[in-house]
Amino acid sequence: MLDAYIQSYNQAVFETDKQAALDVVNQALSDGFSPEDIVFKLVIPAVELMMTLIEKDPDANLAQHFMTAQIAADVTEKMLEKFSKPPEMIGRVVIGAAYGDLHSLGKRIVSGCLKSLMVDVVDLGTNVSAEKFVDTAMTENAQVIAVSAMMVHTATSEKGSLGVRALLQERGLEQQIKLAVGGAPYRFDPELYIQVGADAWAPDGVTAAKVIVDLIREVKP
Amino acid sequence: MTPLEILTAAMTGSPAPRIPVFCNLPDHGARELGMPAKQYFSKGEYVADAQLRMRRRYGYDNIWSLHYVGKEAELLGCREILFADDGVPNVADFVIKNLDDIAKLEIPADITQQPAWQPVSDSLQILQSEVGATHPICTYITASTTLPAILMGMDKWMELFLLGPFDVRDELLRKCSDFCQQEIAALRALGTNVLIYSTPFGSPYFVSRKQIEQIVMPWMRRDLLPGGSEGVVYYCGMAPFNDVIDLVFDELHIKAHHISPLADIAEAKRLIGNRGLTCGVIDDIKMIHWSAEQTRAEVQRIVEIGKTGGHFLFGNGVMPMAVPEANIQAMVAAAFEYGRLA
Repeated sequence: MLDAYIQSYNQAVFETDKQAALDVVNQALSDGFSPEDIVFKLVIPAVELMMTLIEKDPDANLAQHFMTAQIAADVTEKMLEKFSKPPEMIGRVVIGAAYGDLHSLGKRIVSGCLKSLMVDVVDLGTNVSAEKFVDTAMTENAQVIAVSAMMVHTATSEKGSLGVRALLQERGLEQQIKLAVGGAPYRFDPELYIQVGADAWAPDGVTAAKVIVDLIREVKP
Repeated sequence: MTPLEILTAAMTGSPAPRIPVFCNLPDHGARELGMPAKQYFSKGEYVADAQLRMRRRYGYDNIWSLHYVGKEAELLGCREILFADDGVPNVADFVIKNLDDIAKLEIPADITQQPAWQPVSDSLQILQSEVGATHPICTYITASTTLPAILMGMDKWMELFLLGPFDVRDELLRKCSDFCQQEIAALRALGTNVLIYSTPFGSPYFVSRKQIEQIVMPWMRRDLLPGGSEGVVYYCGMAPFNDVIDLVFDELHIKAHHISPLADIAEAKRLIGNRGLTCGVIDDIKMIHWSAEQTRAEVQRIVEIGKTGGHFLFGNGVMPMAVPEANIQAMVAAAFEYGRLA
């Protein structure tokens, strides 16, 4: 029903033209579609289509990933205020940059996509200890911990993902809480996620949202 | 032939006994001297001493003078660097905390008078006097379109770059380009002859080709305008950029290209041909878990693709500290062995 809008919206996102994407949303609203329709029939299918496109075209650039997330999160946030009742969230993720790592772009892309896909995101910021990841995931009943690392030493450190894995094991939480990782080092060594004890990884922020949703569904069918 | 002459031969296509073999170990110096990273980077003498020792031990051709990328942020007012004893220092204090700070940002009239410049100057002077006549001295410069990432954070910069306000973005870029021009001139004055020009926003992995042509390229031209492109190496922070190699030749006249391990090296060599220097780069993150034999095999693969017809250099990325020393030795030895020229 909203195919033409989805196409125009994604065209705008691919050209990193935020205003054009917002114009499509506004046009759909003025054509009588509800805020719920905008999120569930336009934004979510558009993000999912973008995930598929990015999977097929690994050369999609970082600016496109960023805008996919930024626009989807902005539109979703505005539409949620107008929902007749709060939507059902599909799960919760605790996200942050690994201990010693102050890079925030990757997790911002992931968070933006996840919010638009109706996932609760608890963002712990940067330079997060393994204990804080696990403690927060427990108190927030999260299904996934997502650890971003842009440098090799923060990806492989005992204080990063390996520390999270050790704590999950120690506390008997490995079936309830899954661990996802992402960031530049994993692109250069696709086997690295195994070495750092993660359940899954993704080569980019948009794909990471899909990987995290899949992990949530493993834990919470 | 000296390593400097071998590099010149590779650039020009003149006869030489072998390809140049470069190795970058910027973060290994502290361990070499047995001191914490913060102490190591506090004095240019330490950096020069460690880099000279490692070059002697491994035997590669170049000498590397980079302290850490955040040094440029310190020269512009950053007050805190997060040092790590097992990896790269991080900028922990962003000079630009909100967009209003861009108007307040002042580029020093002479960066060489800044206290943060002293260790850079000291190390380069030592390197120049010790090996400057025989070995290429490498330094690192962040391009104006990437420098804001360490001044305000990559996500904030990406937002400003793409969404504006564009007058504010361009004001920041102008200031960063002024800084870049000054830094290049200052490094050249200290005798550096290989300038690694780090320009991730010049890679189609970061932004579209259209954005590179319309936004990034004019600023890169401005960065390089005063001193020209002699000795400049186009480096996109390990991101691939084969699709813009022709553009870089045409617009920036940069002849040396640091090819990402994620790119097709054979395609890059074809694109560059005899016009300049293809730098074939090993994926040194995989070297953490490879054996020495695997490392040798990968060096052989890269060198055999690249060395035919000359105009080729072998190198690495930033060599994580977790890479075993045996693999670094295997890498350098294999590059010398397979890099022999008839």
